[in-house]
Amino acid sequence: MIIVKDLHKKFGGNHVLRGVDYHIHQGEKIVVVGPSGSGKSTFLRCLNLLEIPTSGEIWFDGQLITDPKININKVRQHMGMVFQHFNLFNNLTIMENITLAPVKLKLMAEEEAKENALKLLNRVGLAEKADAYPGSLSGGQKQRIAIVRSLAMSPKLMLFDEPTSALDPEMVGEVLEVMKELAESGMTMVVVTHEMGFAREVGTKVLFMDEGNIIEENTPQEFFANPQSPRLKEFLSKVL
Amino acid sequence: MDWLNSVLEKANAAFVEKDRWRLYLKGLGITMEVAVFAALIGIVLGTIVAFMKLSTKRNGKPTIFARIANIYIDIIRGTPSVLQLLIMWVIVMKDCKNGVLVACITFGINSGAYVSEIMRAGILAVDKGQTEAGRSLGLSHFQTMRYIVIPQAFKNALPPLGNEFIVLIKETAIVGYVGLSDLTRVANQMTSKLYEAFMPLIGSAIVYFTIIKILTVLLAKLERRLRKSDNR
Ligand SMILES: Nc1ncnc2c1ncn2[C@@H]1O[C@H](COP(=O)(O)OP(=O)(O)OP(=O)(O)O)[C@@H](O)[C@H]1O
Ligand SMILES: [Mg+2]
Repeated sequence: MIIVKDLHKKFGGNHVLRGVDYHIHQGEKIVVVGPSGSGKSTFLRCLNLLEIPTSGEIWFDGQLITDPKININKVRQHMGMVFQHFNLFNNLTIMENITLAPVKLKLMAEEEAKENALKLLNRVGLAEKADAYPGSLSGGQKQRIAIVRSLAMSPKLMLFDEPTSALDPEMVGEVLEVMKELAESGMTMVVVTHEMGFAREVGTKVLFMDEGNIIEENTPQEFFANPQSPRLKEFLSKVL
Repeated sequence: MDWLNSVLEKANAAFVEKDRWRLYLKGLGITMEVAVFAALIGIVLGTIVAFMKLSTKRNGKPTIFARIANIYIDIIRGTPSVLQLLIMWVIVMKDCKNGVLVACITFGINSGAYVSEIMRAGILAVDKGQTEAGRSLGLSHFQTMRYIVIPQAFKNALPPLGNEFIVLIKETAIVGYVGLSDLTRVANQMTSKLYEAFMPLIGSAIVYFTIIKILTVLLAKLERRLRKSDNR
């Protein structure tokens, strides 16, 4: 579904991604872990071109999306992204947050979009918040809405950048629960997280990133039971 | 009691006799007309210029639009508004006999420069995450600005925009240069007509002051309400 070839990203003189190669298949749940500053967010943000790679190729469904001639907006319609800080639109109600993109991009009529939004809101138990503004919600509620907002576009792939890192501990569970259900429904997911429990339980593959590269990749069982590289061993000893 | 009588007489001559108060009222009408239309032009122009100024190329360098915006802001800020008005009236729009139109356009262009700085600050105060979320959903840059960033930027900018409007009301006191009888000019004309300066000048000053005081109070209220709605 996604093929990444020799991906490099520099910010000025800071060489953040140093030749990442990876292949994501339909239905996989890829969990990305690694120390702070290793380039996890940058990798994720390159996948939907929020960051423009310095060099390398990204193929999405057989299309070379790093080609400057490609319509980035069209590509992004098929990739949802969930951010650490939720980024709900503060000036819009929850309902408007969810329906804005499908309606303005003319994928759905307004009525249809609202119906669909209500269905999704019911799925995460937040239908009664439809007319509230983001400012009145808790962090956990905001993040569940943010996931719903992405799902309203019926994406083929969902990217999560530390979706629970900004949450109070008691709210982490409700968000992970929604993500687990999403995983069970067959969604292809790439998740950057520090939640090792989630990686074990939901991941089909776990990647370890360090200094701008994927150092190690394995099934969750092997990844945690038999780390190969010394750097991963050291990392795991710190976080587990 | 002689002085009281003379004061009342002067006030009578300056405002009541021959319905002269109508002239002041008409003058105030022109003052407000120019200020309101200039403010509208200024907001539209200022918003566009703010985005021009914020536009960058892929490598992060300012675009040609950003350069043009900077030149425009520099020129407006670097020249007196009386001269801007005369230049428009005598040179640029010399075939236009409609002084109100020339004044509105001149002050609109003038105000646009200041509004652009206000809007730019308002836009920069909107969290980058808002734009990223919009773009990640597949909305275009323009759609993201239109539906998400500009409404929030505008809310951030409302208090300073209100201030700009107040400044504008006072600034228009120079439209007499293009033949308009605004409040200030009416007062001035009345002074020479009646050989008496005190009543017309002080009277019109009080009118300006009252209007601006009312606007200031409303603005403070609005600001308080906006701040409250931030933590709704
Ligand atoms: N927009 C940017 N401009 C300049 N440098 C950046 C930018 N974004 C990231 N970087 C730099 O790139 C490096 C990798 O950042 P990145 O956010 O990808 O790390 P990360 O693995 O997600 O870390 P964390 O776990 O702290 O989120 C860091 O050194 C960071 O300072
Ligand atoms: Mg990160």
